[in-house]
Amino acid sequence: MAETKGGKPVSASQQPTGTDKAVVTRRQYFRRKKVCRFCVDRIDDINYKDVKLLSAFLTERGKIVPRRLSGVCAPHQRRLSNAIKQARNIALLPFTTR
Amino acid sequence: MRIYEQLFIVRPDAASEEIDALLEQLGGVIAGAGGKLDKIEKWGLRKLAYPVEKRQEGYYVLLQYAAGAEVVKEIERRFRVSDLVLKYLTVRIDERLKWLEKRKKQREKRAQRKPAAARPAAEGSPMPGEPVVKE
Repeated sequence: MAETKGGKPVSASQQPTGTDKAVVTRRQYFRRKKVCRFCVDRIDDINYKDVKLLSAFLTERGKIVPRRLSGVCAPHQRRLSNAIKQARNIALLPFTTR
Repeated sequence: MRIYEQLFIVRPDAASEEIDALLEQLGGVIAGAGGKLDKIEKWGLRKLAYPVEKRQEGYYVLLQYAAGAEVVKEIERRFRVSDLVLKYLTVRIDERLKWLEKRKKQREKRAQRKPAAARPAAEGSPMPGEPVVKE
């Protein structure tokens, strides 16, 4: 992990917050490299019927979470967004929620 | 012949006999054209993610069948005519199933290869970019 690089002990407030790469930006905060959940868990089948899985990639308002936030790789994001759009069509997922 | 998946929403206040009658009709259409109905899954009453025809709930039914394109056309036509069905979605899944099968095989092949070669090497550095100091 990144904090071993500097040699200094890291306090709890300086722990990785879960954003981009393993790069130290301007002292205080670290960025951890995010990994694609579908690659890690070996999920091949991103299916529109799997509402539980898909809704994890929607914001509160029902938007699709962008890759830069979720860390999903490009091929999987493509499949994911297709599946979400199919699920929206058949009212399994919302287009938008107020 | 292609494999299709058909998910559709029936009006929540429809009687179960009406749904069965509809399903029977669809089964007839598929069988009549030389197709094969593989499965019927009744998901039951579910909340809709957004209102459809001013209804908040719907009775979901999933069909899977192997048939030609003209069967899909006919079924969709019936759905549009029938006032029982609120919404439907047809997905062609044969190519997808094939692709999934392929991926599964690849995975198995790789899993067989791995225990012999990759495991001991991977244990050395659990995190990339971190130099392992050996004394």
